[in-house]
Amino acid sequence: MFTRDQLITGNKTLEQITNDICEPVETVPTIKWVALMLGANSTLLIFVSTLIMIIGLGMGLMAVNHPIGWGTDIITFVFWIGIGHAGTLISAILFLFRQKWRTSIARSAEAMTVFAVMTAGIFPLLHTGRPWLGYWLLPYPNQRGPLWINFRSPLLWDVFAVSTYMTVSVVFWYVGMVPDFATLRDRAKNKIRKIAYGALSLGWRGTARNWSHYEMTYLLLAGLSTPLVLSVHTIVSFDFAVSQLPGWHTTIFPPYFVAGAIFSGFGMVVTLMTLVRIGFPKFKDYVTINHMEVMNKIIMTTGLMVGYAYATEFFIAWYSGNPFESFVFINRAFGPYAWSYWIMVTCNVFIPQLFWWKSIRRSIPAMFVISICVNIGMWFERFVIVVTSLHRDFLPANWGDFIFTWADFGVLFGSFGFFLTLFLLYLRLAPAISIAELKPVLNVGRDNNGHDASSGGTHHG
Amino acid sequence: MSEITENNQTQQNKSEKLWVGLEHYYDDPKFLEMAQKEFLSSPLSSEPDSEFGRREFLKLMGASIALASTSCIRRPANKIVPYVKRPDEVVPGVANYYATSWLDNGQGFGMVIKTREGRPIKAEGLLEHPVNRGGLSARAQAHVLSVYDPDRARGPKKNIVNEKRTNSDSVEVTWEAADKEVIEQLKKGKVRILSGTLASPSTESLISEFSRAFGAKHIVWDNLGADDVKEGQALCYGQEAVPRYRFDKAKTVVSFGADFLGTYLSPVEFTKLFAKSRHAGPLMSQLVVFESLYSLTGANADTRVSVASDQLFASLMGLIHEIVVVNKKSSYAGNAEVQKWLEPYANVAVNNGVSSEIFSQLAQELWKNRGESLIISGGLNIPTKQAVPLQIATNFLNSLLDNDGKTIDVNISPNKTYKGSFKALALLIDEMKNGQVSTLIIHRSNPIYSLPVSSGFQEALNKVGLVIYTGDRNDETGRISNMFLPDHHSLENWGDGEFQKQVYSIQQPTIRPMFNTRAFQDSLLTWMSLGGSKSAAKDWHDYLVNYWKSNIYGQWTKGAKSFEEFWVDVLQRGVMDVSNLSAKRSATSGARPFSLGALKNSKVEAAPPGTKLLMYSKVGMGDGSMANISWIQEFPDPVTKITWDNYLTVSEEFASKNGLKEGSLVEVTANEYVEALPVHIQPGQHSNAVGVAVGYGRRFAGKIASESGEEVSNRSIGQNAFLFAKLENDQWIRSGMTVKVTVIEDKFHPLACTQGHHMLRDKKFEVKDRNIIAHTSLTEFLKNKKAGIHQHGELKSIWPEHKYTGHKWAMVIDSNSCTGCSACVVACQSENNIPAVGKRYVLEGREMHWIRIDRYYRGDPEAPETLYQPMLCQHCDNAPCETVCPVVATSHSSEGLNEMIYNRCVGTRYCSNNCPYKVRRFNWFNYLDHNDTLKLAYNPEVTVRSRGVMEKCTFCVQRIKEAKQTAQDKKVPLADGDIRTACQQSCPADAISFGDNNDKGSQVSQLFNSDRASVVLEELYAKPAIKYLTKIKNPLMAQVSSHQEGGH
Amino acid sequence: MAKNKKVTVGIWEDEHKLIEAARKTREAGFKIFDAITPYPVHGIEEAMGIKRSWIPYICFSFGILGCTFAVWLTNYVAETEWPINIGGKPLTLWAASPGFMPIIFEVSVLFAALSSVAALLFVACDLPKINPPIIDPALTSHKFAIFVDEADASYNTAKIQQQFKEWGAKETRETEF
Repeated sequence: MFTRDQLITGNKTLEQITNDICEPVETVPTIKWVALMLGANSTLLIFVSTLIMIIGLGMGLMAVNHPIGWGTDIITFVFWIGIGHAGTLISAILFLFRQKWRTSIARSAEAMTVFAVMTAGIFPLLHTGRPWLGYWLLPYPNQRGPLWINFRSPLLWDVFAVSTYMTVSVVFWYVGMVPDFATLRDRAKNKIRKIAYGALSLGWRGTARNWSHYEMTYLLLAGLSTPLVLSVHTIVSFDFAVSQLPGWHTTIFPPYFVAGAIFSGFGMVVTLMTLVRIGFPKFKDYVTINHMEVMNKIIMTTGLMVGYAYATEFFIAWYSGNPFESFVFINRAFGPYAWSYWIMVTCNVFIPQLFWWKSIRRSIPAMFVISICVNIGMWFERFVIVVTSLHRDFLPANWGDFIFTWADFGVLFGSFGFFLTLFLLYLRLAPAISIAELKPVLNVGRDNNGHDASSGGTHHG
Repeated sequence: MSEITENNQTQQNKSEKLWVGLEHYYDDPKFLEMAQKEFLSSPLSSEPDSEFGRREFLKLMGASIALASTSCIRRPANKIVPYVKRPDEVVPGVANYYATSWLDNGQGFGMVIKTREGRPIKAEGLLEHPVNRGGLSARAQAHVLSVYDPDRARGPKKNIVNEKRTNSDSVEVTWEAADKEVIEQLKKGKVRILSGTLASPSTESLISEFSRAFGAKHIVWDNLGADDVKEGQALCYGQEAVPRYRFDKAKTVVSFGADFLGTYLSPVEFTKLFAKSRHAGPLMSQLVVFESLYSLTGANADTRVSVASDQLFASLMGLIHEIVVVNKKSSYAGNAEVQKWLEPYANVAVNNGVSSEIFSQLAQELWKNRGESLIISGGLNIPTKQAVPLQIATNFLNSLLDNDGKTIDVNISPNKTYKGSFKALALLIDEMKNGQVSTLIIHRSNPIYSLPVSSGFQEALNKVGLVIYTGDRNDETGRISNMFLPDHHSLENWGDGEFQKQVYSIQQPTIRPMFNTRAFQDSLLTWMSLGGSKSAAKDWHDYLVNYWKSNIYGQWTKGAKSFEEFWVDVLQRGVMDVSNLSAKRSATSGARPFSLGALKNSKVEAAPPGTKLLMYSKVGMGDGSMANISWIQEFPDPVTKITWDNYLTVSEEFASKNGLKEGSLVEVTANEYVEALPVHIQPGQHSNAVGVAVGYGRRFAGKIASESGEEVSNRSIGQNAFLFAKLENDQWIRSGMTVKVTVIEDKFHPLACTQGHHMLRDKKFEVKDRNIIAHTSLTEFLKNKKAGIHQHGELKSIWPEHKYTGHKWAMVIDSNSCTGCSACVVACQSENNIPAVGKRYVLEGREMHWIRIDRYYRGDPEAPETLYQPMLCQHCDNAPCETVCPVVATSHSSEGLNEMIYNRCVGTRYCSNNCPYKVRRFNWFNYLDHNDTLKLAYNPEVTVRSRGVMEKCTFCVQRIKEAKQTAQDKKVPLADGDIRTACQQSCPADAISFGDNNDKGSQVSQLFNSDRASVVLEELYAKPAIKYLTKIKNPLMAQVSSHQEGGH
Repeated sequence: MAKNKKVTVGIWEDEHKLIEAARKTREAGFKIFDAITPYPVHGIEEAMGIKRSWIPYICFSFGILGCTFAVWLTNYVAETEWPINIGGKPLTLWAASPGFMPIIFEVSVLFAALSSVAALLFVACDLPKINPPIIDPALTSHKFAIFVDEADASYNTAKIQQQFKEWGAKETRETEF
């Protein structure tokens, strides 16, 4: 049988694992964490105040105009939704593929997913002219005569897809945490913790019968989430693909968007994990350099995929012989917003290629910088799609320009404050690595004991 | 009328309610206070039965007050009669239509004013009016809003002006006090009345009566006058007149700098007539324009020749030379003298780098169509020194082509709206300087704004004892006059008009005076009576009626019917129905002998080299009198598409030579006057000329015109270009002076353009590839009726489509008639409560117009061809906007309307993104106008949209519903033409037709299914309910622009 | 909640010994017994003879239910309750349904996922339990236990404890569960 690197280094015992992982939850915050938290909170403050102003005064505060009806809000929405894909992908698809290395990062990836989707969820609402009427997008019986919603509208598909995805991700995440909450409950010293985690754990016991149902359900959820995660970004891409606007009306969008989502998702996971490793040095044994390397490989691959998608778009634009279509793409690459296009290509296609070199793949600073680039690139991908297609469409008479305002920056950067605040709280309140899932793979790659290795190897964690 | 005369008693009792009613109406204490004054302190209450018959006046006032109080109605004080085709009861919720008329400096309009609860809310063209025939200009549409202008004067004021009359402090006075002061001064005699052309027979007679009483003199001066035309006519034919140009009779029209479709003389009338001659077919007329700037007329020319401004006269002479000398045509062919005069212009074409082909072809065309051609020239933009010679040459050519009396009519019904003269004004100024004027009454004229300081008018005022100003606001002239006695708004006042000889139209008030103003004519009458000179009339209305009785009634329909019947008839029709008037008007009068002497002396000394500055007036802004009307400020100029500014238009060559960019600030120096202006680069303009529009730079016109609130570099919107003018031996040099343009380093002034002008410079974009506008040349069209229409494979639907039984509303727009004048834009704005958003938001691309006139340039930027395409909601059967709305806020009606449900809209803006025509507009902010007076202009039939909802053209659904209702009440089927959308109604070119496409007989379905009709972006298969008829150009040299779009 | 019952429990510290013990317990003829582990220990199902979970059936049937509901809702709303011409799109079932597919899919997934989780937590594991007696806090960390219920026919705490010891239990006792 082949030998493989240890998933978990430092010859931990079961007890050590428990102690290590519970430590951040049970000790007082470090200065580093507090500093980060304060930073996040102040950014969050910017976010909130910008939202209040926009909702109070009107969409006109932002750069959106005629003809560019969608702007920063939709761009950032798609951006966050995209990021929200890695989590479920890691915990579900890699789970189905028996990728045991996922266990160390699955929990945080899921958390990231949940928070990213929460952040994303704010934007479609914010971007409407009358956010306070957002509930009109839900199909509820009412007394306004027959008055329903339009099930044909891609935006409505979005509402269903995103809310379903949100719900299922939260459930998935929570179910995963129930046994760990039980662990925290049993370790809890003071009464409040005991009650709080006791409630969260729902009084989990972990009898063998419970575990067998539990694993089955987990498998089912994974099975359900897999098509779900693919469907979500597919449907988000329908917002564009189903319209008839040159540059949007493209059949390649669903796969292209999904690839992009995974790409950006892993980018964000790498960014966060490098930070987690710095923040909680103990975690280095669980989130090893090998984990990071695998993710970097995925980033590189998906980077090539999106690159391919960009190329295909151009080919089709030329091949279709549709003057509007071809104009839009020429305009993308050489028009007034060419800079955004080239930022996108550089960050998404060229820079990730550095990961061909093992040294870069395994260098924390390098991967941190590159993952940031990926995030920037992916934001601009959505910018390019939304803005450059809209600002010059069929009739030249209504072509326009898109000029950022302070409000656009406010919501864009502010949203990171919202996301980080949640994520930092999570790091303090929940076990950042799945204890129960980690233990079974404890022996993977430990060459002392073949039986263990195989038992870890043949069974999923 | 019945309500008023009957039960005055009850109305008297009710009259206390007024204050409640008004307070309820205007929650503005200041106004209330003023209103109080108006009644308590009015002479009416003091002496009940003075000769002014004020008791009746009071009664009638009471009557209207009562009406006002019953349903917030502000009906006018005197007997007014609703438009004949409408029920004449005032039913709350039902509109009343009153025929009236308005003179917009030189342009006369017969109008029908739609009033709701006594508020005028919409101006429509009066179809029966022989001058404008139902057409209205953008300004005429905006005229309605100007009644509610919050910056209008709210009562008489006395200005305490300092020595230099530089600034002033004004105090409110009562009319009595004012009158007392005025009459004292009037008694001193030496009275002068300065006004623009009034073209109102009764007012003019009243003025002459007044003049007799006080030894006054009436000086008429038109700011945008036609002195050159009149002088030219006088010199050539010994008859000072402004002819009526018969474009409908002309096969070949040649314009030398005359923007007759946009701003010259009477554009709406001309557009109507011109459109008549543009019917696609072998007889279609041909328009050749020689000009330096790029005017609306130039944009509509079949052949546009861009010539240096100082070469206009030469070019015209060159053309004559071509006909007379080269082609040896006309009776002057042999005339050695004439030949001698023409010789110098033998090779004008060569000198100007114009293809001599054009001259020879044009010469042939003209001769071929002699008697059916028309040469027109003139306008503010003609270099002043050339103006008169140019007119003489024009007349000469018209005479030798024997158009005079055929297409040029001075005998039957010549224009009567340009009576002013600069010379008269110059004389007045001298008189004032010499202290020969003790009282100066300024009416309908704003000299301080529109005269340069060098004119000396302002110092001259110091020598005048009392200056009385009757303008509508305490503006540039008002604030330095001693007495500011505001006149009624024309929609509040009685009056009449003779816009063309023997065409008498009536002006009915459609609303009781909003503020404490008094009719100018009533002022005159008051002063006359105070001055002890008895007038037969009790008041102005009475005077008017008497005048009509004794002059017009007697003159025309003697004995046909009683005067009362006649009068009611006149009020109903709005225009004097002269038996056989129409017949007379269509007749032709004989040619007049041309006196060669005039031609002999018509020389233009060579102008000094260098770039010349030309003033021009804009279609929307005109003379600037309506600068405080937001609709006018936000009106996209048909040529440049720029709003909220005037600017220096320069050619591309000039710009590149001086390193100018769009919007870069330059210092313009001409006639020793310096002004900083932003630059607009206008393709097709001649590099020798730079142009600047007048009418801007109003310093004291009100909040909108004088401080826009948005980031403009200075206190007023634009700059006052009139100040570049200069008095030079009794001639106002306004155009053609040498200009110095110096760049102010990297200073920019953003120009709010509704249509990215940089687009036409975008090499990546060509109309040709996109097949947006179907257009072709006449020759091609005669070969193939579908010429110019993009052909493509058959389009199929993959599912069964919806059937439309019953009505199916559709519109057809004739691109060939449409001149792009944009009157429809303001008509729509007025009908549908569309807000103006201000310069800043136009810059951000957030203007709200439901209909916009897309302008595309074609060909090389040096001499581009312009194509206009009115773009509004296409009401597609397969509307892309509807499918994507998550909340079904926009859906399709059973009659094929694309309906927008404002209160369901959450504002995702997906519909706008998915609209290929981008005709939807979004309320980025709350634009609802809470201003106490402006909100009165809202059309109650149309929802005022709130923030965050999408809106767009509805095909005037409220009009459709109204028409259907009326038909139902009358128990008759809805007839074709019952429904006229706002844009269609106001279109001076009748380019828009609307109706039921399922009614095979209807005009619209005929056109809709004709070969010339095509759909924009048809390949998308949105199936619009609007089709466009191919634009056909009829250029001189077929090969110049014989081109076939589509077909591929 | 039901009152706690007596159980005899043995605590192990090694996963493999536990599995052995579990098998032996079953072979010894005990019926009502269960194991407590900090994480899913593999092979213990076979050792204890636990049957395959029934939750997939719940998941499947609720998935179908969600699907049916979505199909009904979309078509009822768009074709029966409120047939309105939206962008000229067809109203007939066959032509309209493709536009509803995303909705139908999402709703099915939602139903399936939530139903299975509910089944797991509230039925299978019959949670929530308000402060259940904790045999040993380390059982959620690094220790393993097997307990036999007093209700078991051949229940005899002394005998069981002694057997557990033989099978390698670190400690044994009778306690509440």
